[in-house]
Amino acid sequence: MKLLGRFRRIWRIARWEVSLGSTSFDRRTLMIAAVLVVLAGSIVGAAMVFGLGGLSPNQDIYRVGIDADSPYHNVVESHSALTARPADPELLESGDIELLVSPADDSGTVSLIAAEDDDTTAVEVESTGQSRLSVAHAQSEKGNAALTAFRAAVERYNDRLMALEENQTAAYPVGVQLQYQSQQQLVQSDDQELPDDAENDDVEDDESVDSGDDTDEDSDDSADADQDTDGEVAVDDDREDPVVADHEGSFVEQLFAGGTDSGSPAEISPPFPFSSLLLAFVFLVPMNFIIQAYGGTILNERINRRGELLLVAPLTRLDIVAGKTLPYLIASIGAISAISLGIGGGIVSVLAVLPIALAFLSATFVGAMFARSFKELTFVTVTISVFLMSYAFVPAIFTNVTPIALISPLTLVVMELQGDPIGVGAYVFSTVPFYLSSVILFLLGVGVYREEDMFTQKSVPLKFLDALDARLRGPKSVAVVSGLMIPFVFVLELLAIAVLFVLPIELSIPIILVVMAAIEEVAKSIHIYAGFESDRFGRTTSMALLLGAMSGLGFFVGEKFTAISQLVGLPELALGEATLTPSGVTPTATLGLLAAPLVLHVVTAGISALGAKRDLRWYLVAMLIATLVHAGYNFGVLYFYG
Amino acid sequence: MAKSLVGRLIAWLESQRLTIATRELRVLKREKTIVLALAIQLFVAAFSGFLVVGLVSLYDPSSVEGLQIEAAVTGDASEEMQAAIDNQQSLNATVYTDTADAYEAFDEGRAQAIFETAVREDRIEVTLTAPEGSLETTLVVAEGQQALRALERQQHAERAAHLSVQPLELPEDRGGNPYFDFMYTILLPLLVFLPVFISGSITVDSITEEIDRGTLELLRVAPVSLIEILDGKAIAMIGIAPIQAMAWLALLSLNGVEIANPGWLFGLVTASAVIVVSLAVAVSLLAANRRSAQLLFSVGVLLLFVALSLLPINPANTAALLAIDSASTLTYLVVSSYLLAALVVATGVRQFVGRVDANRL
Repeated sequence: MKLLGRFRRIWRIARWEVSLGSTSFDRRTLMIAAVLVVLAGSIVGAAMVFGLGGLSPNQDIYRVGIDADSPYHNVVESHSALTARPADPELLESGDIELLVSPADDSGTVSLIAAEDDDTTAVEVESTGQSRLSVAHAQSEKGNAALTAFRAAVERYNDRLMALEENQTAAYPVGVQLQYQSQQQLVQSDDQELPDDAENDDVEDDESVDSGDDTDEDSDDSADADQDTDGEVAVDDDREDPVVADHEGSFVEQLFAGGTDSGSPAEISPPFPFSSLLLAFVFLVPMNFIIQAYGGTILNERINRRGELLLVAPLTRLDIVAGKTLPYLIASIGAISAISLGIGGGIVSVLAVLPIALAFLSATFVGAMFARSFKELTFVTVTISVFLMSYAFVPAIFTNVTPIALISPLTLVVMELQGDPIGVGAYVFSTVPFYLSSVILFLLGVGVYREEDMFTQKSVPLKFLDALDARLRGPKSVAVVSGLMIPFVFVLELLAIAVLFVLPIELSIPIILVVMAAIEEVAKSIHIYAGFESDRFGRTTSMALLLGAMSGLGFFVGEKFTAISQLVGLPELALGEATLTPSGVTPTATLGLLAAPLVLHVVTAGISALGAKRDLRWYLVAMLIATLVHAGYNFGVLYFYG
Repeated sequence: MAKSLVGRLIAWLESQRLTIATRELRVLKREKTIVLALAIQLFVAAFSGFLVVGLVSLYDPSSVEGLQIEAAVTGDASEEMQAAIDNQQSLNATVYTDTADAYEAFDEGRAQAIFETAVREDRIEVTLTAPEGSLETTLVVAEGQQALRALERQQHAERAAHLSVQPLELPEDRGGNPYFDFMYTILLPLLVFLPVFISGSITVDSITEEIDRGTLELLRVAPVSLIEILDGKAIAMIGIAPIQAMAWLALLSLNGVEIANPGWLFGLVTASAVIVVSLAVAVSLLAANRRSAQLLFSVGVLLLFVALSLLPINPANTAALLAIDSASTLTYLVVSSYLLAALVVATGVRQFVGRVDANRL
């Protein structure tokens, strides 16, 4: 009953918020909006009428000198990045074209043959008798890239030609099946990948189709002893159906189907899910508008003490915030569901993007609580957008390459669009940090949703310290806050790994270890500093040591929880596991090893706390020392147990 | 004549406009917002840089030092497959007569790819096995695909008699970077137009906030007119956009990305900034409150940008064409028309501001 009453109150605030929003969009605003839409619509309409719709950003960037009657003229015309120019060798010399494709007939074939060390501006690539193709390109990176683009265009043109070919066997003389196999674990995984029935089917298939090739012999004498051959034979079995089915689809369908693992050589794709990625990006676009409106309404409460009315009403702060947030959350869910329907995603896409939406909203809420003016809020929202969009989008690019891509929930969307199976572990791994971070950010913001913080002009860092301080009560609460920092630490560390993993391993591992030490030290001590600054705790050495110990303990316990979730969720995520190991997250660790990180966290947090009790400068120096100690420990663990 | 024009310009600036413009910039500096803006852009640049490095090293084998993929070839069509692989510089083929040996070589890391071939119904079926979940995966598949396409071409040539249409001959691959244009067509427009958008957004904030908090009235008590106040704010915001954009271009060229036509790019960014900031001024005076102004502005500018990108005057493409040095006469005409449009829009908006009754805001 009490809960129901609470829901009713929240619902009332939400309705009020919506009505506030809709009255503020008065007739004049709607008129301007209508004018804008009509303006944009007419431009789009004009583009459609003139048949110019859908220009790509790389339109006409490479200029190709080619005659209109050349068979390659069509190729150039059909590729957006290429544009046809007159086939004049002088244009190539003067840098006005990048490529020169010679006429189809032998007359007037250009010859710009140059030795490698010659300083002419163009080199001839090829001049073959059969189709009399002769291409010269400018001797620059751009010229070389133009040649690659032209080559790709010819390939695509040929693909379209072959799709029209009636004799499909001649058009597609090669069929490919792509499979991925772990190199080290091949022998072990064979057992799992080989159910008995697959093996049996396979033998039958091979005998009926093949006419005594060596694959057949292998499967004949493949007793259970020869594991390797079994692995390969089982794959043959998988191959049969998709190859036939794939040729039914149109070329355009193939193009937008994302990664396929079988078909003609043109159809298999390296693990780069370009179209799925683009579609996944669509989810992020409406978020930016929603948080803009949301941040505006929160900051609005803080201007000219408008929010005081709600604050004095018989409502809890949490109710007010929940009520004000609800309409925007519903709008986000609506947008996500609509997009998911539109691009052919399913329930997984909605569930995967929901935590991203929550992260957007919670970060904007905190930003709006901290910002001093709308100008500052604009920057805060842009920062949030850029950060979250990069964090969600960039790892998803590597969806098919490495499991580290799972740090972004958007990867799940890409996987669903590609038709890959998604495990519960993967979902938990990529979304739980987002859910937790969002909840904690909301808690932080609610902490400063009070008169003394809402209506005062403090700089963002001071507001941040205030928000942390609002979470503190006694020394025990320091441990709780340290534990609550874990999701952010997790997110930041994974981001660091994602950014640094392109570097060579001998460089990236040390950097990651130091960066992780720094992130963890900040997370363990920043609230202690906030507590000292607000005079919540007495500035004594014993207090500092006590707080350090509590913080270290809280952090240690929180870290253990991530270890458990890692154990349950993703044993296959080798990179993440390896990188988190130095802090003692090894499941097989003995009791002594378990205690070591606890000691480490307590000691380093104590060092930082000692500095924090003096002032900012001492705090920074102490944290540097703590980071060095922590990094040293990380190196030690890696050295002895790595 | 020219002197009087310069004199008039100085006199125009020496009125309160410059004071307001510098105050606007000082506020930005004090609130550290401009620092944050630069930090955001640096973040974008760093992430894009990461993306480019990642993509290029994943997809462009020549950029990876001494990379050589050992391929194990086995099965009926080994000979054809090997011939096709030999054309690929970064692939090295070894034929195994026994399939099990090929898989053993893969398992022991002596080969990074297996091409297992079989001939069925007059077609060559190839199973390409690539290592799972390693950085080499993409590379192996990309290179393997090239080899398979070479095999397909070779088969097309052999079966030419059965084909009613003949595929066109391919030029030789010179290892050009297929992501060469990424910098110019995606990153550069992003870096160049993001400051423009941010400038417009701050303009909306700055004006609506003065109206909201009632400080515009205070400013109006001073001997300045509304148009002077708005001119000052707009000048400050228009000024910072091209400066940021040019800083990015300088940074890019320091990184070895050659940027052509910097003068024209400066013109394009300035023109866009004038147009966007003018629109921002108009929207913040027209809309009822800050929230609707900000929303109208961002949706409007986005719509405009999307709509324009469907036309040959696509601003992103224009910037790319200028920077990559593929600009044609049309491109220069487009930039000129943007400058002209900027003049028209700015004059129009100033006319409109002149007719706004400041007391009713």
